[in-house]
Amino acid sequence: MGTNPVPNKKLAIFTATGCRACENAILDIHYQVSSLARCADIAFWPYMLGSEVRDLEKQESIDVCFFAGAIRTSSDREAALKLREKSRIMVACGACAAFGGMPGLVNISQWSVVSGQSQRTMDNKQQTNEEEKPELPPLESRVLGLPQIVKVDYLVPGCPPTQNFLWAAIQSLVCNGQSPARLSFAASRLPEAIAQAITSGILPPKGSIFAGEKAVCASCSRVKEEKRFETYKRPYQAYEELGRCLLEQGLVCQGITTQEGCGGLCTAMGQPCRGCFGKAEAIFDPGAKMVSAISSTFDSNDAQEIAALVDDIVDLVGTFYRYTLPTQCALFSTPSKD
Amino acid sequence: MSDFEPKIIAFLCTWCAYVAADTAGIARYKQKPNVRVIRVLCSGMVDPNYVLKAFASGADAVLVGGCHPGDCHYISGNIKAMRRAPLLRKLLEEMGVENGRFRLEWIAASDAPQYAEIINQMSEEVRSLGPFSPSTIK
Repeated sequence: MGTNPVPNKKLAIFTATGCRACENAILDIHYQVSSLARCADIAFWPYMLGSEVRDLEKQESIDVCFFAGAIRTSSDREAALKLREKSRIMVACGACAAFGGMPGLVNISQWSVVSGQSQRTMDNKQQTNEEEKPELPPLESRVLGLPQIVKVDYLVPGCPPTQNFLWAAIQSLVCNGQSPARLSFAASRLPEAIAQAITSGILPPKGSIFAGEKAVCASCSRVKEEKRFETYKRPYQAYEELGRCLLEQGLVCQGITTQEGCGGLCTAMGQPCRGCFGKAEAIFDPGAKMVSAISSTFDSNDAQEIAALVDDIVDLVGTFYRYTLPTQCALFSTPSKD
Repeated sequence: MSDFEPKIIAFLCTWCAYVAADTAGIARYKQKPNVRVIRVLCSGMVDPNYVLKAFASGADAVLVGGCHPGDCHYISGNIKAMRRAPLLRKLLEEMGVENGRFRLEWIAASDAPQYAEIINQMSEEVRSLGPFSPSTIK
């Protein structure tokens, strides 16, 4: 074993249907990238190493797999099943893998529409470019999050996951046992339950979410008052009174339903929360909670005025369930694999 | 479809709508048996979560019954229900829940005939809409 008492972990990183920003986020841990290379052997990473799914057969086993992206096509499903089979720890990394993400919004359309359109695109491509026709694997009937098809050990939410959480997750799962200083650093950034597990040298309980316990409002720096609004605004229409709660300014800010952990990054910059950490634990359905929160700020007792206000608010499903439709919407979600 | 019996969950405020429902029973008004009543203290406490949970758990329609505006036992609880309803209805519509499946009605305590009429009307409307199932979209 030589100088290093702990053998290096074998790491796999993969994106199914997604934009690969999660993989970029893993690279975005600055100088720590080099320490990652010291404590892990990256066995499978198509984005960086050009590995292919069929190469996985050659791997005996993988210690930790960071799986990003939603399950959209049959090849996504195959890759997820194969990686689950090979990996000791499976981490759903990013909102798409953890909750279904933005690709999951397609579930509000009827399946026939979705498949019909993709079939048409395929036909067009075949006509125009017979030589190199791209092959789209068969689509799943609906977009799913990773926990809905395989058992997932940990979730790292975010779109993409924030740098400090991601690095803390990597350290606690991949680099554990390497350096006490590094572990205590990671623990200082993680929620208490996870931090306690890591500092005592064990893995956090299965199913842990690497995010805070409360809602984003708990860590948002803005001032909350009892204020009501008469008009609803889109984010580009309002950027004033920096210190005041965005919801009270008439913006649809989802901090109230969203799990804490980002530290209120967007709200600090005047952008309403978009909900990329998924719903906070105490919330049954994020959409219903937002309906309740927004309507309580309407400053009117008149049914017609209220109806006019509601008319201004567009695309409720796409806003309230922007990242979570397949897994956290009461009417659309399907159960997870235990 | 003819033997489909809709399940309607009715959240009735204990001061007005529930009293009306009670009176409608005592007075033996003819009512469709499709309603499951949940008695709540005020229509203002019916969280949109309750409505979504009802639909997710197999209800075909949801009725929220409260006092007329101005008559609320808690002064403005029904106004809160009134502010909530249009936005909730819009969200439900976007998710494929037809308009007729969610209703907010003001029913005075003395207005038992109106309660019976609303129930009968709603039962027939939901019967013609057919069973609600979020799984139709799966």
